[in-house]
Amino acid sequence: MENIRLKKITAIWIIAVLLLFVAAITLGIIMRLNQADVMHLNPAKFYEDMTVHGLTMIGIWFVAGMAALNFIMERYVKTSYSANLIALIFTVIGVVMLWISAFVGQFHAGWTFLYPLPLRPLWDSWAIALFLFSIAVLGVGWLIWTISLMAALLRKYSISQVFAWQHLSNKNPEVETPPFVLISMISLIGVLTSLLAAVVLLILLFAEFYTHGSFTNDPLLMKNLTYYFGHTIANEMLYLGLAVIYELFAEISGRPKWKTTWYVTIAWNLTLFFVLGAFLHHMYMDFVQPESLQLIGQFASYLASLPSAAVTVFSIIVAVYRTKIKWSMPNLLFLIGTCGWIIGGVGALIDATISNNFVLHNTLWVPAHFHTYNAMGNVLFSLGFFCWFSTQFSAKEVVDRMRSLKIALLIIGGIGFLAAFYIAGADSIPRRYSNYPSELAAGKSYALLGAVSAMIYLIAIIMFFVNITKRCLKMLFTH
Amino acid sequence: MLKNVVYTLVIITCLCSQAWSQPQSDLREEENIYEQIYNAPLKLIDGKSTTVLQLAEKKPLILALIFTRCSGICSPYLLQLKENIKSQSADATKPFNVLVLSFDSEDSVADMVNLAKRFELLDDNNWHFAITDSITGLIKSVGFHPVWNDNIKQFDHDALLVGINTQGFIIKKLLGMRGESDVALLIESINNEFIPTYRLPGKSSLFSCFNYDPKTGKNTPGLGLLFIALPALIAMLLLFGIRFVVRSKSS
Amino acid sequence: MQHSLLVFFAILSVVITAVFIFVYQSSLSASEENQGMKNTLQKRGWFLLILVVVLAMFASITIPKSPYFVYAKDIPSKVIHVAAGQFYFMMSYNAIDPKNPSSDPSIEVPVNQVVEFRVTSLDVNHNFGIYDSNNVLIAQTQAMPGYVNRLRCKFTKPGDYNVFCLEFCGSGHQIMRSSFTVK
Ligand code: HEM
Ligand SMILES: [Cu+2]
Repeated sequence: MENIRLKKITAIWIIAVLLLFVAAITLGIIMRLNQADVMHLNPAKFYEDMTVHGLTMIGIWFVAGMAALNFIMERYVKTSYSANLIALIFTVIGVVMLWISAFVGQFHAGWTFLYPLPLRPLWDSWAIALFLFSIAVLGVGWLIWTISLMAALLRKYSISQVFAWQHLSNKNPEVETPPFVLISMISLIGVLTSLLAAVVLLILLFAEFYTHGSFTNDPLLMKNLTYYFGHTIANEMLYLGLAVIYELFAEISGRPKWKTTWYVTIAWNLTLFFVLGAFLHHMYMDFVQPESLQLIGQFASYLASLPSAAVTVFSIIVAVYRTKIKWSMPNLLFLIGTCGWIIGGVGALIDATISNNFVLHNTLWVPAHFHTYNAMGNVLFSLGFFCWFSTQFSAKEVVDRMRSLKIALLIIGGIGFLAAFYIAGADSIPRRYSNYPSELAAGKSYALLGAVSAMIYLIAIIMFFVNITKRCLKMLFTH
Repeated sequence: MLKNVVYTLVIITCLCSQAWSQPQSDLREEENIYEQIYNAPLKLIDGKSTTVLQLAEKKPLILALIFTRCSGICSPYLLQLKENIKSQSADATKPFNVLVLSFDSEDSVADMVNLAKRFELLDDNNWHFAITDSITGLIKSVGFHPVWNDNIKQFDHDALLVGINTQGFIIKKLLGMRGESDVALLIESINNEFIPTYRLPGKSSLFSCFNYDPKTGKNTPGLGLLFIALPALIAMLLLFGIRFVVRSKSS
Repeated sequence: MQHSLLVFFAILSVVITAVFIFVYQSSLSASEENQGMKNTLQKRGWFLLILVVVLAMFASITIPKSPYFVYAKDIPSKVIHVAAGQFYFMMSYNAIDPKNPSSDPSIEVPVNQVVEFRVTSLDVNHNFGIYDSNNVLIAQTQAMPGYVNRLRCKFTKPGDYNVFCLEFCGSGHQIMRSSFTVK
């Protein structure tokens, strides 16, 4: 009974995410077409698109990760259905408010809404309020969900068990902590921290907004808080996907389940800390930030990559190398997603080096690398889960006829779309430009390449969407 | 969570009222930067003659411009400079001299000796008191413009400190009565320490993350840093809190 | 600089992809009795060690080149004051008064000498991105209200340089620009 409710709400999450994904990609393609001079939006309209695209994408792939995490967590502990439902309701309300504030209220401060831009009188003040409240609604819903999942884990595991510390000294401890539980906990704490940073940020923004400027904020503090929240949540949502992979990859491949070992424990425990320091790399070009913090930013960014590369990626390679595996859509997507994830990571590391950042910061290199580990990493992790989820309950074996076509379209579209960003970034084309000045006209051709490739990617996504949604709907309307 | 909100609100309400009490920014500090100072000949109170550049060559120089008849800002300003310098930790890697120079042609060496005595700085090797016969060239090169006011028989003038490095370049200027940390920043700067940013005065520094403390060369955490630490702290507290709550409920 | 980074990145991406394809192929051709990889813990250790060494080398080479450290010991031959606003740049040889801002009609800076830009903002966050005459981004710093960032550069080629804004600042972000001449 319980499981049926969880199954249904997960199916609703999946349909909602895919629906919004198609919409947000369309916004992305519109942006690229505008940059290519094929479409001619007024700049404010472009930036409304951009703000909505960014926040919607971050939002949906975050909740996709959470929904998957919640669904699988039920295998180990009892999770709260109401928290899941509240998160769903709040997410829907928040997204609607967000879209209205942007498309009706013309709010367009970008997904990072960097202080003091959102509070400037560039749009109606009701739009500012609606936007801030939309973030607040999303934040509250997600906080409730995060805390409830943490509580679910902590009901069964003690603090030291949930971090798998008993695996450090003992090869076969009495209570085993599955890798899924460990990684879930680590990611949930990261998510919680970033959401709390958003709370502080919002309080400070509201304080200035409602005192009409008699209280003012420090721009440097606000920038730090903004990226503390923004960078961290974008980073942690990938780890939510990884938790699912640790659980499902072996299972789908018909291999023995992965076990927690001492190095898995160390790697993930360290990741908790490194990730929280990495956001500092967003302030490299703010020379006002103390040099020590700039260097911490570079080191934390480097260090955060080590555990993931040496443990997670290596584990996947070990699991696949010369091993007979039942390949199906989900584990293929996991494998390709991992590859995309680390390639994006390399792009990120290059940019997280201060001396490179000096000439790459806020060029298209930035969307290049984060779209790599999102569109070709995290999205594939979640799609893999969606495929697995939508097929595992059907009685008859599902044959995926167009598997190769779908994957080929995804990869071809994805590579073209990303290459257009990377090359443009290396060509000094700035990010977040609705139109390119004549000196940077090269950006237009890259934008066209990006738009066309993204359409190919979109075709693949629509194929997934139709397939998965059909099965999820069936699940919703049968018992 | 609730505690966080309440705490934040309390701090905000307590402090936002005082946000505006800071001195206004003075753009004249930005004039003449990286220009060569006018090489005026100096008559020191120990009887020796030298020039500004020769003096600066030995150690970076802080130049204070005063006149002894001053009934206004000169005395408090010199006193504060003395106090500010005394409170700097003696750092051999950041040496400096102070040159107290009269811009009043009526001041004699004897007047300056008296001044040095009054401030008990006669025997301090780091302090030099002097007069010059080429004051016009010098004050022009540092952008200092005193005006004689015949009603009160006094000069209207700024309180100005000029930082000069060993090559005789004007590196930094401070206008008005300034605190210890500004003076320390001046000393850093004339020792060619590059600090790639500075804060505009007149803005609220209430919630800033860091207050640069040039005395130690470090940034001391400001109130703002609390806000950065807060989310991680609360997350950790929540972790233990949740565990505590769920366990006491189940047992 | 940027192009060598792009090449470096492209090579690494190809290598990574090749490894994944190779591993995938090895799985396809594997038979039931294949045992997968042997001595994985040892290999993992080596892999980690190599990564650490490479990253440490990378850090020690790149950190001294950070903009906060280059030219830190030089005395700039010229200071240019920059105040950014929605949606313009003001550049001046003299300090710019935030209450009554004004700029010089044209700015010239000397070639092969260190110059310092003192960059601030009059409203929201902006950025001061310097593009050379081939439209390559060569230096930048953020323009943050309430703070002055000091960017030191040495221009080795005479010519016209453009300035663009590299921090999103509203609907006119893409039209924010200025220029100066290096002689
Ligand atoms: C094929 C699908 C996608 C297309 C065509 C697309 C397109 C774009 C474009 C054109 C921009 C603006 C780039 C610029 O700064 O000039 C952008 C920004 C962004 N995209 Fe995407 N994108 C796609 C997928 C994704 C995914 C999967 C995510 C997941 C997180 C994502 C998150 C973002 C974010 C956060 C921004 C930054 C928005 C901002 O600057 O405020 N995008 N995207
Ligand atoms: Cu701008």
